[in-house]
Amino acid sequence: MWEPSVVDRAGAGLERLISGETPMIIIRNFYDARACQKAADKIKRRARHKSRSGNLRHVGPFLMAYTTDKAKYFRDAARAARIFEEIFYGADNPIPRIHGAVGDMLPGYSVLPARELAHSYSPAVIRIHEKGSLVPLHKDNVRYEGCEYAVSDIDHQISCVLHLQESEGGGDLVMYRRRWEVADERFRNIDFGYSPDLIGSSRSCRAPGICAGDLVIINPCHYHQVTRITGDSPRITLGIFFGIYSQDRRIVAWA
Amino acid sequence: MADTIWGNGSEVLSADSFVLEVTHRKNGNRDNYSETEKITIVSADLPGMPHNRGDWTVESLKACVINAFLKCEVDRRDGNGTILGKVSHSGAGGY
Repeated sequence: MWEPSVVDRAGAGLERLISGETPMIIIRNFYDARACQKAADKIKRRARHKSRSGNLRHVGPFLMAYTTDKAKYFRDAARAARIFEEIFYGADNPIPRIHGAVGDMLPGYSVLPARELAHSYSPAVIRIHEKGSLVPLHKDNVRYEGCEYAVSDIDHQISCVLHLQESEGGGDLVMYRRRWEVADERFRNIDFGYSPDLIGSSRSCRAPGICAGDLVIINPCHYHQVTRITGDSPRITLGIFFGIYSQDRRIVAWA
Repeated sequence: MADTIWGNGSEVLSADSFVLEVTHRKNGNRDNYSETEKITIVSADLPGMPHNRGDWTVESLKACVINAFLKCEVDRRDGNGTILGKVSHSGAGGY
C-alpha cells in the first residue's frame, strides 16, 4: 500500500515523506475556505489585469524559471513579496502559517525564508491553471537545476501546495513512487517534463478529494503530474519549497 | 530560424566542446543531424557554467552537460563537420 497521510493538523511524518514511504501528506482545512475565496478573487482580478502584459499563469517568480539569471530572480522576488502582502492584506497570510506547519513536522528545526547575501528568495508562487491546461510528468530538484543558487546545497527538498481554488473537474495531483535520477534525463520532453514511458509500472497515488483550503505536502524529487483541468474555473494554488539542512537542523523556504 | 536539435550531453572533448546524443530535431531543420554530433559552444546558457568564458574548464563543462538534456541552436558546421551553436539547458524553466 502506498497511501497518503490525511490529517487535520501538522504532526510527525515528514521523514516518511522524504524517504518515499508516504506519497503525500494532506492537511485538511489548513486555511479558511472564505479566506481562500477572497484570495482567489483578488488573484483572478490581478491575473486579468496582468494578462494584458502576457503574464497570466503565475503570480510571483519561481526559481526554476531563472536558473541562469539570479539578478533578475532576486529583483522579481523583491517585487513579489509586496504583491503577496497585497493579496493577503486584511487576511491571515498563509505563507508564515505554512512555515509554521513545516516546523511542527520537524520539531527542533528552525524555519526561515531563504536568503542569499542581501537578497531574499521569492516567498511563494501562485499558479493559475485554466481549463485545458495540465502539468506534465516532472520532478523538482533544486540541487540539480538550481545549482547557481545557495539553496542547492540542501539535504532534502519538500513542496507545500495550498489549494486556494479547485476546478470543477480534473487538476488532480498524481504522485509516482519513483525518484528522479540523472540518467532519467534521456526521457526528457523538449519543453518541460518527462516521457510517460519513464514511469512504467511504478506505483502511483492520486490526491483524494482535494478542496480549497487543503495543504498538500510532497517530496518533489519523486515524479508527479497534474491531470488536465476540465472544469471552467481555474485551479489556483500557492506553492512553497522547503529545503532541509539535516546537520544544522534548519529549514529554508523559497519558490 | 536556426536549426535546432536536442539531446543529452555525453563525452566532453575540451573546455568548450562536447558530444551530444541527439534525441529530438526541430521540424523544418534545413540540415540533417546524426545520432551523435560534436558541438563547439559559441554561447551558453547553462546553470552552473561560469558566465565568463575565460573561466570555462573541461571539469566545469563536464559538470554542466554530462547526461543533461540540452538544446543546441545551430549556427553552422565547421570544415570537420563539428556544429558551432548556442547551447542551453532545455526545459529547466519549470511550470
